[in-house]
Amino acid sequence: MTALAAATAAPPDERWQYLAILAGCLLVTLPLELVIGARVYRRPRRVIRAIAPAVVVFAVWDVIAIDRGHWRYNPSYVTGWELPGALPIEELAFFVVIPVCALLTYEAVTVVLAAIRRRTARTRAGTAGATRTAVGGA
Amino acid sequence: MPEYTIAAVAAVAAVIALEVRVFHTGLFRRAAYWVSMGIVFAFQVLVDGWLTKLSAPVVLYDEAGTTGVRVPWDIPIEDFLFGFALLTLVLLLWERAGRRMRADGS
Repeated sequence: MTALAAATAAPPDERWQYLAILAGCLLVTLPLELVIGARVYRRPRRVIRAIAPAVVVFAVWDVIAIDRGHWRYNPSYVTGWELPGALPIEELAFFVVIPVCALLTYEAVTVVLAAIRRRTARTRAGTAGATRTAVGGA
Repeated sequence: MPEYTIAAVAAVAAVIALEVRVFHTGLFRRAAYWVSMGIVFAFQVLVDGWLTKLSAPVVLYDEAGTTGVRVPWDIPIEDFLFGFALLTLVLLLWERAGRRMRADGS
């Protein structure tokens, strides 16, 4: 019986799956900070101000949803470490990691759009300048 | 309407009301916001798709709590409202914090 239970239980490494997915999200979005220059990790106080209230609101929602049976977590893919309200630590990590990824995306898009606008403006100015020179020269 | 559906719709309405009535950050008029939400949506399909896949789900839903509509793959559509509300709230707070910190000269 015990042997059967051990054989059918998910291998222990699988319990890290949810956390591994979140770690993957942080890894994939890291170039937004390091290459594009999103400057999110370099503004930790602002990150806390943006994320902390959302963590509280959504953790409360999560606890209520778990209590009311809207959803539950597959014990095979979570560590089993829980916070009060039966909230898996993975969920707390989710409410921090996913917003950080969104902030990185938003700031990186802001940087890229600003660069595109600058380039467009310069091209226009360049064209206007060339026209002026041509007209002035004539 | 099922409970998760109601909660998800209410969360989206609450976040929009927060911007329109209280924060006035102008986030909804920024191109960067809508482009970002498009990118985030695409990645949500990948990550949430993995978490909710019925073949080996990380999160299991009570069908009675949702509309039962799961698309694409096995993602309950309510999850997209949940994600929109969470990330819009964070971006609104980020914009507001930035404005306040600039005003404080910090």
